[in-house]
Amino acid sequence: MRKNWKAMSALALTGVMAIGMAMPAFAEETTEAAETGTTDPDWEPFADTVELQIPVYDRGVEGVPDVTNNYWTNWIQTNFGDKYNIKVTYVPITRSDVLTSYSLLAASNDLPTVLEEYDYPKVTQWANDGYMRTFDMEEFAKVAPTYYQQMVDNGLDQYSQMGGETYFVAALRPNYNTEYTFQTFVRMDWLKQVGYDHVPTNREEYVDAMTKIMDAGICEHPGGGSMVTGVGSDQNYNYREWPLDEEEWAMYGDYNIPSLGWEPNKKVLYYANQDYNSGITDPEYYLIDDEQAKTNFINGKSYSYSGYTSATMDWLTSFYETNPDAELAIKPVVTQSDETSGETPGYRIDNPFGMLIGFANDATDDEMKAAWMYMEWLIQPDNLFTFQWGYEGENFNYDDNGLPVTVSDYDGEYKQGYNNNKDYWSIIKEGRQAGTMEDQVSAMLPHNLKQDFTEDVVNYYNTKSKVAEAGWGIPNPMYSVTIDAEVEYQQTLVELYKELRDELTMCSPDEFDAKYEEAAKQYADAGYAEVTEQRKEAYEAGNSTKLPNTEASEVQLDQ
Amino acid sequence: MSVRSENKVVVKTNITWKKAWHRDWQLYLMLLFPIVLVFLFNYAAYPGLRMVFMDYKPAKGYAGSKWVGWQTFQKVFKDRDFIRSLRNSIVFNLLDLAFSFPMPIILALMLNELRFPRFKKVTQTILYLPHFLSWVIVGSVAYQLFKPDSGIINVILRDDLHWIDSGIPFLTEKWHWAWSYLLIGVWQSMGWGTILYLAAITSISGDLYEAAMIDGASRWQRMIHITLPGIKSTIVTLLIMQLGKLMNSNFERLDVFGNTQVREFQYQLAIYIYEKGLQASKFSMSTAVGLFQSLVGLILVLLADRFAKLLGEEGLL
Repeated sequence: MRKNWKAMSALALTGVMAIGMAMPAFAEETTEAAETGTTDPDWEPFADTVELQIPVYDRGVEGVPDVTNNYWTNWIQTNFGDKYNIKVTYVPITRSDVLTSYSLLAASNDLPTVLEEYDYPKVTQWANDGYMRTFDMEEFAKVAPTYYQQMVDNGLDQYSQMGGETYFVAALRPNYNTEYTFQTFVRMDWLKQVGYDHVPTNREEYVDAMTKIMDAGICEHPGGGSMVTGVGSDQNYNYREWPLDEEEWAMYGDYNIPSLGWEPNKKVLYYANQDYNSGITDPEYYLIDDEQAKTNFINGKSYSYSGYTSATMDWLTSFYETNPDAELAIKPVVTQSDETSGETPGYRIDNPFGMLIGFANDATDDEMKAAWMYMEWLIQPDNLFTFQWGYEGENFNYDDNGLPVTVSDYDGEYKQGYNNNKDYWSIIKEGRQAGTMEDQVSAMLPHNLKQDFTEDVVNYYNTKSKVAEAGWGIPNPMYSVTIDAEVEYQQTLVELYKELRDELTMCSPDEFDAKYEEAAKQYADAGYAEVTEQRKEAYEAGNSTKLPNTEASEVQLDQ
Repeated sequence: MSVRSENKVVVKTNITWKKAWHRDWQLYLMLLFPIVLVFLFNYAAYPGLRMVFMDYKPAKGYAGSKWVGWQTFQKVFKDRDFIRSLRNSIVFNLLDLAFSFPMPIILALMLNELRFPRFKKVTQTILYLPHFLSWVIVGSVAYQLFKPDSGIINVILRDDLHWIDSGIPFLTEKWHWAWSYLLIGVWQSMGWGTILYLAAITSISGDLYEAAMIDGASRWQRMIHITLPGIKSTIVTLLIMQLGKLMNSNFERLDVFGNTQVREFQYQLAIYIYEKGLQASKFSMSTAVGLFQSLVGLILVLLADRFAKLLGEEGLL
């Protein structure tokens, strides 16, 4: 048995290292291709105009062009659509309520030709509900060979089937196990004021620092906080017990339905309760949405704020305008286990795929082919490069090393959509890649601010790579069969979780244990018991993914 | 002229449909448009109701979805969330009726007594204004005012006046929330609700007031014995219509005032339908609830109408 563990760990480690080594290779390949350019695929235009509808997230963000009609949607039409007699239209999908948007489109028989989403359970639900049609992957490979090859090269073709039928193709998520674009920015100036020369990474130091910040009158509730959204809330990867139990992981390890009643979740909520009762957390946190949380950070009402980085971070600009003397730092990666709090370096490995893409049940063969052509055309390096970076001298400039650098405050005719058109080219991959890892990190950060975080984020990435090598990354389980109870109860459980976890956060610490047991029972009775039972059955029947490793080793840092 | 019953007088004319059309065709043409709209939006959707007997999947359509008989209703009535939302909807709609229904009547009677026309008009306009604010705005302003820790009202009461030690959870504790929710509803709707009553009051003959004044009736007595009986039939008609809405719930209003601390009371049918129907794509379930709401509403209207007629009122139907 022990031998097996070792063998599995070694295999997993080799896999992670192989992917790690492959990543820079992808980056270089893309840059090289961008430099050399490619020609468009040689297709005959359709005899009759084909209408292709592509979904695009409408995030309700101010200052970005209309998501369905802007320079770049017209650019697609001119350079791709007109050439092949395809009319490309974009369908807005409300980012904060994707399921409802698609439900309404399905109810009115208006589903776009392409359906895409990051969450595996959502797309499997759509397939199960008949939103999508099946297709022949060999046909897809003939029309979109480059796209297909990207899938094969990265092992993404294994996610294309459900119940033995082919429903999906998958976009690429580079660095999926060493995500570095989501960062927590903390007030280093406050920490220095209370005697810290580093950012706390364990619970004891964190509580101590927050208490000192409160006692010094710097901030009333430095922990801030905001209302939870339910899906993906209260992630507990850093409180899971090692070695991991694969069956337990398959039952509770997913984050789309929070795992109330599981020990790691209890630990997360226990500390949330402690922070609330000690005043670290804002007592009105459950009324604060993300926008308000951002505003609170800018206005010095909280110690930290987490968000995705990009070359254009307006909120960070506002922060420095409001707090010209402030100093920020990036919260470092946890590399050591803390026996007192039970925290480990465990973290969530993202899915190896970005968008999972399916095709509407009523899409004709021509429309389907047009969608495949769109993907194949867009994946061509020169097309993708222009869509991602824009035009030289307008949206970006080349630096001394010949690498593109986005003009973060560009506001002209060619202004791109949210996050450099990301919501359009996410059908191909997540993230723009040009040059080395450092160059890629640099491209995802603003450089016109008081502080430059490139070095910090590069360090973060390097450390995280070592944590990944040591085997601390934990993926979410996925199932190749529909878990009916998930479809039936997910919405109910997500809403119930929000209610119960706030009750547990705000109760007196003495009542916490009893209330947690009570809440766990209520949650189980509301459908979670059925969900975990069905997941267990799927796991036992071999219809789930496996853990890459169940044991992790000490993180080997250079210094 | 012939008398058909004790109270109702029916006027007989010799005009035929043809003549009537010839004389008033423009009016009939104008009427056609709303009739088409009513038919289109209120009746043309009726065939869609069959989805309550199906496991309806939008992508499969009516032809591809399975028939499941009464299963959806059984499922809904067994669902604890439905029972909770039904209980909350009935309780809050009854409370809403108890608070919101009399207020426009009282206000209309008070406005009617104002003698200075300009002041009356300005007052009316101020009272109408909240009706034109969307619930999103009302909700945002209410939270800014009533947050437990940083809301302006609590800050004044706690920090400036020192009347309280800790903030009052107007919108963040279920019982306080219930009161705030109802009173904000009254504030938002009462001004607009006075319009019909004020119109009804203007139709009361001035002679009655004059005679009462000659007989020495005070202003209060005139209000109670002339104005109020004069608008009784309007009150009854509106009450019957309100009873028909007893099972309804306003999603926008509930959504903007919602937070996890008050969900026990805020979880009403509109929220149930949104979460289970739209977000979870269970269209059959939400249609079943919608149909149930409509049926109960219809029964309540019919009962109220019958009751009003028993009391000697004209009723609605």
